[in-house]
Amino acid sequence: MTAPLLDARSLTRRYRLPRSTLLGAAPVLTAVDNISFTIRAGETLGVVGESGSGKSTLARMVMAFERPDAGEILFRGDNLHALPAAALRHQRRYFQMVYQDPFGSLDPRRTVGWSIAEPLRAIGTDADTARRTAEALEQVGLHPRDGAKYPHEFSGGQRQRIAIARAIVTRPALLIADEAVSALDVSVQAQILNLLMDLQDDLGLGILFISHDLAVVASICDHLLVMQHGKALESGPAAHILRQPAHTYTQTLLKAAGVST
Amino acid sequence: MFELDNLSAAFGSATALRRASLTIRPGDRLGIVGESGSGKTMLALCLMGMAPDGARLSGALRIDGQDMTQASETAWQSLRARRVAMIFQEPMAALNPLVRVGDTVAEPIMVHEGLSRHAARARVLDLFEEVGIPDPAARMRQFPHELSGGQRQRVLIALALACNPALLIADEPTTALDANIALRITDLLVRLAGQRDMALVFITHDLAAVARATRDIVVMYGGDMVERGPTDQVLANPAHPYTRGLLAARPDPVAQTRVPGGKRPRLPTIPGTVPSLPDLPQGCRFSGRCPVEIARCATARPGPTDLGRGRSACCHLLTEGTT
Repeated sequence: MTAPLLDARSLTRRYRLPRSTLLGAAPVLTAVDNISFTIRAGETLGVVGESGSGKSTLARMVMAFERPDAGEILFRGDNLHALPAAALRHQRRYFQMVYQDPFGSLDPRRTVGWSIAEPLRAIGTDADTARRTAEALEQVGLHPRDGAKYPHEFSGGQRQRIAIARAIVTRPALLIADEAVSALDVSVQAQILNLLMDLQDDLGLGILFISHDLAVVASICDHLLVMQHGKALESGPAAHILRQPAHTYTQTLLKAAGVST
Repeated sequence: MFELDNLSAAFGSATALRRASLTIRPGDRLGIVGESGSGKTMLALCLMGMAPDGARLSGALRIDGQDMTQASETAWQSLRARRVAMIFQEPMAALNPLVRVGDTVAEPIMVHEGLSRHAARARVLDLFEEVGIPDPAARMRQFPHELSGGQRQRVLIALALACNPALLIADEPTTALDANIALRITDLLVRLAGQRDMALVFITHDLAAVARATRDIVVMYGGDMVERGPTDQVLANPAHPYTRGLLAARPDPVAQTRVPGGKRPRLPTIPGTVPSLPDLPQGCRFSGRCPVEIARCATARPGPTDLGRGRSACCHLLTEGTT
């Protein structure tokens, strides 16, 4: 058995809230409470939960944008939050993120080719930027010529393809998708989910897939982690949890996702 | 009561709503389903007399027998709140952050029915109770930011119900809410429609919500009403290729799971994207993306074919006798 790509151990993150009275102690919100999980190459972990359940905080810690108050994240064996700055910057090319809003995540005044190449410039690679950009565009089902266009020339689904191209241009091992299909129409959503599955099969990507929609998560994930109020309600193989949800909250999510109820 | 007769809404040469016909009676629960650009929100705005400036309306929109397509804003103002009211997707944006929610709901009662502030507040208290807001007297004095998303949506429902409308239009009322709150709001709308013998038009892209909340359904694509009928029958056995594609593209949480170690099945997709308004095909709006298209689909608009039991769909293949 190979070591997992990502090994998150007992992650906890607390936020200090604004104090409600002048002299009282500031209340503390535990956004993520003792969460552990692993992701292997070629596997997808789905994290489901409602807003405020801590799933985006989890993503921000995996992206090393935030430091956990307790616990550690091992990425290919290295403790991400203990790495020196230069080493972390070097590692960043191997984990990339796709965001929810395909309109807000692209600079409207830059060509999409420029935006896709941005991570390459950020990591200071000497690789052939133009060739890598064209390759990424093709991998997401667009034409290399599309790199010369501007974001407004594309539909929502195409913009999400561009966002994915930007995430894979550094040839990452891990992709973090935070509500990456939630803003899309149903028919376009299916196209993007299929694209993620194709890329995963071709590139052996590990994916951390965050969503509030259990139906979407079910279609793409091998393992599931159901969160509420920062805690893990249940986790395990997706097929098992979906057939026999142990927790009433998971049952509610299933009910909300099903057409035939 | 509410009747659309070949109602179209056009901006220049682009048609956002094309020859829509629909009758809404008291107690109806109608789902309007479609993706972005399908014309579902335009339909709702027409019913509210709020079609954007520059939209050219043709055909008829009759409310209680009166054609409203050319009606003045004043005429609409006397109908809104009392005959037709609407709730929106984003409850925070629809409430004034500087006004206590009780006063927000009391305002239309005072304006439309001339009640005193005191009498209006008594009515608001009843409304808050009816829509299931706990401790209504205390909630009335709160500001929108002090309420949760679900409570805000309940306040908006109370606001819409304030003057006892005959028709309530809910435009994506649960999209911004978490799953279990969304289920409760959906069930609340169904209960209110039943108790008040009020018609409910539920506009959404969420097929699960429509299956739960509505009795009849209209599927829209590119400004056309492409299929209609009883909700359970249309969802169980869709007749239009677009409805079929839409249902198939929606992942099924149980059936779609990967067999351990096996290759995951890909989701069925509708190729391409919804074209923008000026680029819509002249004939069937779905041509160009349709998997079973025939030659005349691109040029000739298919009319509705009666499928019996209250069902109809607009597809050339239905008149050919094959699908």
